Amino acid sequence: MPLEPHTVPRFSGGRFPLSAGRAILAVALVVVAGGADDTPVRGADTPIDFNRDIRPILSENCFYCHGQDGNKRQADLRLDDRDAALAARAIVPGDPGASSLLERVHSTDADVVMPPPSSNRKLSEEQKTLLEKWIASGAEYRKHWAFEAPVRPESPAVNHGGWVRNGIDVFVLAGLEGAGMRPSPEADRTTLIRRLSADLVGLPPTPEEVDAFVADPAADAYEKLVDRLLASPHYGERMALPWLDAARYADSNGFQQDGDTWQWMWRDWVVKALNDDMPFDRFSIEQLAGDLLPDATVEQKIASGFNRNHLLNGEGGAIAEEQRFNNLFDRVDTTSTTWLGLTLACCQCHDHKYDPLTQVDYYRFLDAFNRLSENGTPQYFSSRIRVAPPLIELPTEENNARIADFEKQIAAADTEAAPIIEAGFAGWRKGLLASGVPGDAAGLPGGLLDQLKKPEGERTAEERQAIDADLRKHFDEKVRNDLVGKAAPVERAATLRRQLGEYRADQIPRVMVMSDDRPRETKLLDRGDYLTPTGDPLTFAPPGVLPPLPEGEATNRLGLARWLFRPDHPLTARVQVNRMWQHFFGAGLVKTVEDLGVQGEYPLHLPLLDWLALEFRDRGWSQKQIHRLIVTSATYRQSSRVGPDALAQDPENRRFGRASRFRMPSAVLRDVALASSGLLDRRQGGRPVYPYQPDQIWEALAITKERDFTYPQSQGSDLYRRSLYTFWRRTVSPANMFDAANRQTCRVRASTTCTPLHALTTLNDPTWVEGARVLAAASMKAAPDVDGRLSHAFRHVVCRVPTDFDLVALRRMHGRQRELYAADPAAAKAFLAVGASPQDAALDPVDHAALSAVCLAILNLDEALCRE
Amino acid sequence: MSDPHPLPGLPGDADLSSAFAENVVRVSRRRLFGSAGMGIGGVALASMLGRETGAAGPVIAGLPDLPHHPPKAKRVVMLWQGGGPSHVDLFDPKPVMRDHVGKDIPESVRGTTRLSTMSSGYAKWPTQPAIKPFKRYGNSGIELSEMLPNVGGIADEICVVRSMNTEAVNHAPGVTLFMTGAQVPGRPSMGAWLTYGLGCDTDELPAFVVMTSSDKGKTCGQLFFDYYWGSGFLPSRFQGVRFRNTGDPVPYLANPPGVSRAARRALLDDVAAMNAAHLADYGDPEIDTRISQYEMAFRMQTSVPDLTDFSSEPKRVLDRYGPDVHVKGSFAANCLIARRLLERGTRFVQLMHAGWDQHNNLFTQLEEQCRDTEGPSAALVLDLKERGLLDDTLVAWGGEFGRTPFGQGDPTNPKGRDHFGRAYSWWLAGGGVRGGHVHGSTDDFAWNITADPVHVHDMQATMLHLLGIDHARLLFRYQGRQFRLTDVHGHVVKGILA
Repeated sequence: MPLEPHTVPRFSGGRFPLSAGRAILAVALVVVAGGADDTPVRGADTPIDFNRDIRPILSENCFYCHGQDGNKRQADLRLDDRDAALAARAIVPGDPGASSLLERVHSTDADVVMPPPSSNRKLSEEQKTLLEKWIASGAEYRKHWAFEAPVRPESPAVNHGGWVRNGIDVFVLAGLEGAGMRPSPEADRTTLIRRLSADLVGLPPTPEEVDAFVADPAADAYEKLVDRLLASPHYGERMALPWLDAARYADSNGFQQDGDTWQWMWRDWVVKALNDDMPFDRFSIEQLAGDLLPDATVEQKIASGFNRNHLLNGEGGAIAEEQRFNNLFDRVDTTSTTWLGLTLACCQCHDHKYDPLTQVDYYRFLDAFNRLSENGTPQYFSSRIRVAPPLIELPTEENNARIADFEKQIAAADTEAAPIIEAGFAGWRKGLLASGVPGDAAGLPGGLLDQLKKPEGERTAEERQAIDADLRKHFDEKVRNDLVGKAAPVERAATLRRQLGEYRADQIPRVMVMSDDRPRETKLLDRGDYLTPTGDPLTFAPPGVLPPLPEGEATNRLGLARWLFRPDHPLTARVQVNRMWQHFFGAGLVKTVEDLGVQGEYPLHLPLLDWLALEFRDRGWSQKQIHRLIVTSATYRQSSRVGPDALAQDPENRRFGRASRFRMPSAVLRDVALASSGLLDRRQGGRPVYPYQPDQIWEALAITKERDFTYPQSQGSDLYRRSLYTFWRRTVSPANMFDAANRQTCRVRASTTCTPLHALTTLNDPTWVEGARVLAAASMKAAPDVDGRLSHAFRHVVCRVPTDFDLVALRRMHGRQRELYAADPAAAKAFLAVGASPQDAALDPVDHAALSAVCLAILNLDEALCRE
Repeated sequence: MSDPHPLPGLPGDADLSSAFAENVVRVSRRRLFGSAGMGIGGVALASMLGRETGAAGPVIAGLPDLPHHPPKAKRVVMLWQGGGPSHVDLFDPKPVMRDHVGKDIPESVRGTTRLSTMSSGYAKWPTQPAIKPFKRYGNSGIELSEMLPNVGGIADEICVVRSMNTEAVNHAPGVTLFMTGAQVPGRPSMGAWLTYGLGCDTDELPAFVVMTSSDKGKTCGQLFFDYYWGSGFLPSRFQGVRFRNTGDPVPYLANPPGVSRAARRALLDDVAAMNAAHLADYGDPEIDTRISQYEMAFRMQTSVPDLTDFSSEPKRVLDRYGPDVHVKGSFAANCLIARRLLERGTRFVQLMHAGWDQHNNLFTQLEEQCRDTEGPSAALVLDLKERGLLDDTLVAWGGEFGRTPFGQGDPTNPKGRDHFGRAYSWWLAGGGVRGGHVHGSTDDFAWNITADPVHVHDMQATMLHLLGIDHARLLFRYQGRQFRLTDVHGHVVKGILA
């Protein structure tokens, strides 16, 4: 059993996370190792499963030196290959006593024992016993589970089948029953609608929606609600958040000048595709290779921007080729993590230490991305915009209107300037030719000078025409500018032209996309160094351990993308459903969602993972259908309450005997604060916006004068757009998006930590303070009495009707705050002045401030911050 | 504070009702089981029941198996000099270069050194000797530029490393390599690793603080990105907290306008009561983590502003840091805040000063940079020493690379130097460092290392070693492998150790 004390996500909050993590694992270890009678994962007589029981031990402790990486292999012994291990007599099937592996493992001699003390690794007695039993029973090896195509598992038998709502529940219930546990009761309807809303649309339900659902007598009330939320246009916005983290999406390049980009057009594509439930195969193929599809549409090309969302280094002195390889490495890493759940990045420098992936596999994979006309650094368009070809220009209607307007003005100025220019030309021509044939001093090109040497009378009509045209050309290019500054209309035309150029550079969207417009030779790089290509050229092919490209399939990105969706692909579907599970349960069925390789967590619920994966494939890769399947399960509908016994027995909820309870992502928390108060502007898509941010977050970057880093705070309702649309500067994340992926490299694992800085954000950021004020105003208008107002505010945030205890607590809170503000009305006014939205002068400031403080407190309740 | 609005079952602010407290104890005890006596709930519990203190070890625990060996230093202040200070002009005297002024640095010296594209295409490599003379300082007689009189004054405290080297040719990759062990952003920074491993001696201040400053003219500054103090794949609570130079040092630190400390206190008490009730209902241990984090946030609201209030500092101390100490955001002021943080229990302070990137203004700008930074740097060392803190505080001074021994720009009249990572200099002082010592050497042109090279990963390994950490054993599993600060490299440099 892989025990990783340092990667316990849900218990990683707080001040003593690691010792606590250890404590929890101490419990988990006892449970998993079968020490606690009530929950054996593997009872004494359960047959040994190589993938579950043995490979993790070998992989963690042996493969580093005795694995497939030939460069690091010690004593010419490999234990990842059964034949090799047998040939070396490290393992003698059926004869533990003759197996040198066991002799070394059991040795007490520091020079003999394996793993050696210097490796900082040590086997437990339990692990040694497992190895012994495994060898005694024949030492069978099996391919790592994730490299074999999933097969539809049989439905396990369960005792309490009445609880089961769909296929998911059979597997979960069987696991719980096997461990002597029982599912939790179903959560109440208010909790369910709030949970579903958080998970599917990232916005809270209104009290009216809650009431309607609670009162809905229909047998399928829950399913109707699910379908309504799945059809909401906000579904795509919510589901885009984790996808943007994986795609390391940001609105700027990172690094020194940190130029802004137009990749938000790709972001809008993602939201729309998710809302349309574009099948995941198409969703993937268009993002990986939309540009290579026959007659690719503009949308498909934009989709391919997925692999252009990486960092771009334009620092002075940067070595472009080095940066270009950094882009390539990033694409391999991001693509393999996102779709394959493999750490292919490990093979940049050497064969993988653990997975059967080689350095050749890596560079064959990289070859698919090594065909762009990029040079490695972004190109300067304006002091704000830096993007790198290949790109597509997509003028908006506004752009076209502005350009047409410019052109009209330029035409008008030209018309006015024309006589002046003509006069200027005539004068210049006359002056030039007045003293006969001009000499070199006139600055004319040599060819023209030669032509002029021919006496005028001898020139043919064509020659005369050519001379006139050349003179005019020379005048327009070199001489005419002298008129700028001397004649107003000429000046105006020149200024307008310059402004049009600047406008085009700064304002026409240029989306970076993929294109195989410059194939190059790909070679393996020795130690991953771009300066040392070695060996024969390599062409794209999938890693050898995975199924090959189908016969006749293109050996390019399009082939790669289609290959992911061969029906027998062992990884694609599993990786996605595992991340979907993470979305709805806080952790994946394989907790290491970024790594399904041999070092990843062995899934306790492998049959469930496989069943879901095959459902995904067989339902035409519909993401909405799998989301629906998960949220309509009895497993999902459980309460998230946990008693001390269940907490001790399954502290991390790996058996799903309760629903998960976790703090919502900061982006969602902000949306919830805006929506609860009614401030939220629900417009979708378009350019990023600049909501409140403390001074000196961006400005502190402006140590160089190379560009203006003044934060251009938005006005009006742009302040209240969903967090998805907040401008994401890659060098410094939005100040109030705590705990977010850094959008520098691909991230697929959710993080929910808890720090004082998070508390300060939700207590003091104007977003929350203003939201509280606006919610208080609405509550004052909604009810005449304090209790009614408190209930109104409470329901808009946490949805449920406050209990008697809640009301007493809220009343006390309100009373104390009111007393303080009554004694200091100026403070009340100052508090109410936070935020750009208008204040309601009709409300008593002391009452309003007191209730606003209570609303701020409600927004900060643990219950408000968490989805339960 | 008398409470005119008592809750039934909640007698007052000072302690929560016994029912809730009992539940908290129940939940927390469960999580304490098996640990060394502290768990997630430990402090929450302590803070709710009247804080327990006195136990040995950090206030906020690190990893149970750390330190690996008895540490020489318990805390670190990194005086980062961004842009690449010129080793040729400041730390590594090369009299031979005087005889070669303007002449090409021999090809036998240059070899195939990888340079930035600003100079890699040069046809001429005019030797540019140090722009000012060197002097011997202290009993140890270490030679440093006369532009460093105050650092010279602490020569017997410092170890000058003249054999630093890096592969990076540009700023961001160079800084990222030093801070995180890799040139491409995304891995945890040194301060994050240390606070993850060692915990922290304060729960009122961040464990890892970053402060930035730049040269006054902003002539050649560099940007400081948040991945220089990021937590990478470590949990985000380990990321550095950047203090800003204007407004609140920490974003969102101050209460909103119109919210007094008393009003906030009352509000938080009521929130805690409701959260405790919810904990009793839901049993989720994370709720009591939340309660404790809100308490710490409240404490930070006073402890952080206290840091920047120098009114209790004697004039003698202020004078030592120089007149800039009164200028918010200056390197001098940041040095003094650093000392105040270190003595209050912060584990890692990372000052980042920009302004050493002298491509075309070496002759004017270098001396100004020295004036802005070398006095306060030395003052910090002396101040720590006076307070008995230097013995177990590691002070590290340096940047991402050095600068080319040849002049940049017009070869007949160079105005600056380009980036140079093949050899450059750092200095260290404090806990476990061999003072009055020079480690490593370079050839006559300060180009190639001739003895005891110290790669960036070696410096990281050495710094960790001084803090009681075996760099090869401070690990975090991510993407199926064990990551560490030094990647797969790094050796402890024994010659630097006292």
